Amino acid sequence: MIQLRRTLLLAGVGGLAAAAGYAAHLFRIGGFGGASSTALGRKILESRVTGLDGIPTSLTAYRGRILVVNYWATWCAPCREEIPMFVRLQREYSAKNVQFVGISIDQIDKVREFAKELNVDYPLVIGGMDAMDLSREAGNKAGVLPYTLVMDPLDRIVTHLVGGISEERMRTTLKPLLK
Amino acid sequence: MIFRWLFVALLMFGGIAQAAEPELLEPEKAFAFSARVLGPDAVEVRYVIAKGYYLYRDKFRFTMEPASASQGEPRLPAGKIKKDEFFGEVAVFRDEVRITVPVAPGGHDGRIVLTAVSQGCADVGVCYVPVEQKAELRLPAGKGGGAPVAGVPGRLGEDALIAQLFHGEAWLLIVSFFGFGLLLSFTPCVLPMVPILSGIIVGRGHQMTRMHGLLLSAAYVLGMAITYAMAGVAAGMSGALLSAALQNPWVLGAFAMVFVVLALSMFGFYELQLPSALQSKLAGASGQMHSGHFFGVFVMGMLSALIIGPCVAAPLAGALLYISQSGDGLLGGTALFAMALGMGVPLLAVGASAGALIPKAGPWMESVKRFFGVLLLAVAIYLVSPVIPMAMQMMAWAALLILTGIYLRAIDPLPQGARGFARISKGVGIIALVAGMAYVIGALSGSRDVLQPLSGLRGVSPGGNPAAPAVAFQRVGSVAELDAAVAAAKGKTVMLDFYADWCVSCKEMERYTFTDPAVQSRLAGMVKLQADVTTGSVEHQALLKRFRLFGPPGIIFFDSAGNEIQGLRVIGFQSADKFSAVLDQALGQR
Repeated sequence: MIQLRRTLLLAGVGGLAAAAGYAAHLFRIGGFGGASSTALGRKILESRVTGLDGIPTSLTAYRGRILVVNYWATWCAPCREEIPMFVRLQREYSAKNVQFVGISIDQIDKVREFAKELNVDYPLVIGGMDAMDLSREAGNKAGVLPYTLVMDPLDRIVTHLVGGISEERMRTTLKPLLK
Repeated sequence: MIFRWLFVALLMFGGIAQAAEPELLEPEKAFAFSARVLGPDAVEVRYVIAKGYYLYRDKFRFTMEPASASQGEPRLPAGKIKKDEFFGEVAVFRDEVRITVPVAPGGHDGRIVLTAVSQGCADVGVCYVPVEQKAELRLPAGKGGGAPVAGVPGRLGEDALIAQLFHGEAWLLIVSFFGFGLLLSFTPCVLPMVPILSGIIVGRGHQMTRMHGLLLSAAYVLGMAITYAMAGVAAGMSGALLSAALQNPWVLGAFAMVFVVLALSMFGFYELQLPSALQSKLAGASGQMHSGHFFGVFVMGMLSALIIGPCVAAPLAGALLYISQSGDGLLGGTALFAMALGMGVPLLAVGASAGALIPKAGPWMESVKRFFGVLLLAVAIYLVSPVIPMAMQMMAWAALLILTGIYLRAIDPLPQGARGFARISKGVGIIALVAGMAYVIGALSGSRDVLQPLSGLRGVSPGGNPAAPAVAFQRVGSVAELDAAVAAAKGKTVMLDFYADWCVSCKEMERYTFTDPAVQSRLAGMVKLQADVTTGSVEHQALLKRFRLFGPPGIIFFDSAGNEIQGLRVIGFQSADKFSAVLDQALGQR
């Protein structure tokens, strides 16, 4: 009996130790620090992307607005699903200083075609693997699409959302940022 | 008071909400790629697809180098139809897919590099960018080619590399486990039982030949080994599931603590074993089996493996934990099978020789038990060594060696007329003691090299000959410097080496691999950058973070356009041959 209790106790202690260790790890890697999320936000704004006209550009023109940066591709079904919602919300929130931007990990002609077809009227740019790497740095650890970052007017990354987003979630995410 | 509870509840809810974010696998794990040769004219590509993930059938692209080796269309299975809101009906693969890629038999010189591009998504509603993977394959010459030659995956992520390390040492591991099994059978709760057990197995009162006795013992050992093998497979597979969690320092630390706890039990601080109620139940069940019959004895063996005595429990738990680190079910099963066979050797010896071949039980068996304690402590240090400072690691080894030396009576006087065993034991003890002291002195004198603990006393930089560094690296200290250097290297392949004074495998690379002429000739055409992150400044952290590295070692290649060559990282020591092959691939990316 004492043996059993001792074994259970040891197993419990071991399990707790592992759990505590993992929790500490999550704490360490999770949670954006104020300064670093601003630095990374800046890096994403300043990183080189290609406009749909084929000319290299960056996102710095949208600085000072509440930015929703959406990483997507035309070959990615869950990405296509949420884009009509972004188009709608862009129209609705334009006056509230909200700017949607799409970074497409894709071929330029396919994106042009898609933008025309769905009347995407917010800016779309083409990003490469380095754009994907920046998204990984922001927390997109597995490197998936769609992936969406929300940044405040001071270039700070406020939230990141992995996978498709419901309209309700998008609205609740933006709400506290609106004045 | 209520507010405080509310606050705690809110915090917890926040934690849960955070955790609800889908836990996504890295693409290499979601879609595990491998390739093998089917014959002189075909290669098989295989993807093992994790549950909840799928690959698109029409997104595969295969190319070969040399291009003359490609011939005809790859043969893909039909796949399952998935209805998609946007793409209509698309064919996808789940669980596993094998694709046969034809090869032109005359279009190559026996070696081809196959590049496979795949693209897939997860059911939770995310997609992965197309993944490019390469395999270097050796094809049998001509049509008469016999057995297919196993392909060597050319491009390996770091996880795959670690798995490969385990494979390279698979034989060593299996032989060691056999040895440990043999040693375990010499612990005080096993060896004295062997003659009794043998009597039970063979059954008394039967007229029996030695051959028959040996075969019955073998059946018993085989039964025992199969149970162990199953435990090994389970450990390996659970490790594969947990492998992401196993790679972080806190979990490694917790594992090391468990090993320490197990080790202490081997020193007799307390006993770990299965609850006695369970033990007697199992003993009863195995007692009901008929002795003298092969099948009955076989089942007896299987059941008896579950009765884990106090000497075996801790090392067995240690072995299983170690195996779970490898994340390989097959290796785990084989290793544990070998261990059980080792444990069965004395039983076979008794069966075959009627007891003449077995060493006498005695107090020496306690030493065997303690040996396992030392071994478990060594594994604990080994586990945490990548994540603790080198000085701390050296001190840990020092403590282990010195304490072992003391236990071996290194400083106790030998009694008059001591026997050979006592003298040998003292000798080993003194070696351990001196080695331990060397580590203490080394650690205190600033050496950070486990291979050469006293190198710090030589008055030169640890790592040997300062006059002739093997490779003339250009130093980079920050992300900006790196970017500038990579940009300046336009048109050349760039190698970036993360280095630190306390990084053992960096030093090994420097000493054994970079000095190799074959490696040097390949490096000559590259721009070689080195980031010395010994001091771990903020810039260094940023640099490491950019490549998602915990710390050195890590060698990263950039193609001539200045982009990282994905999947070609070298983490940990590589021999000159292997590293040359990696360099060839890096140079081939131009």
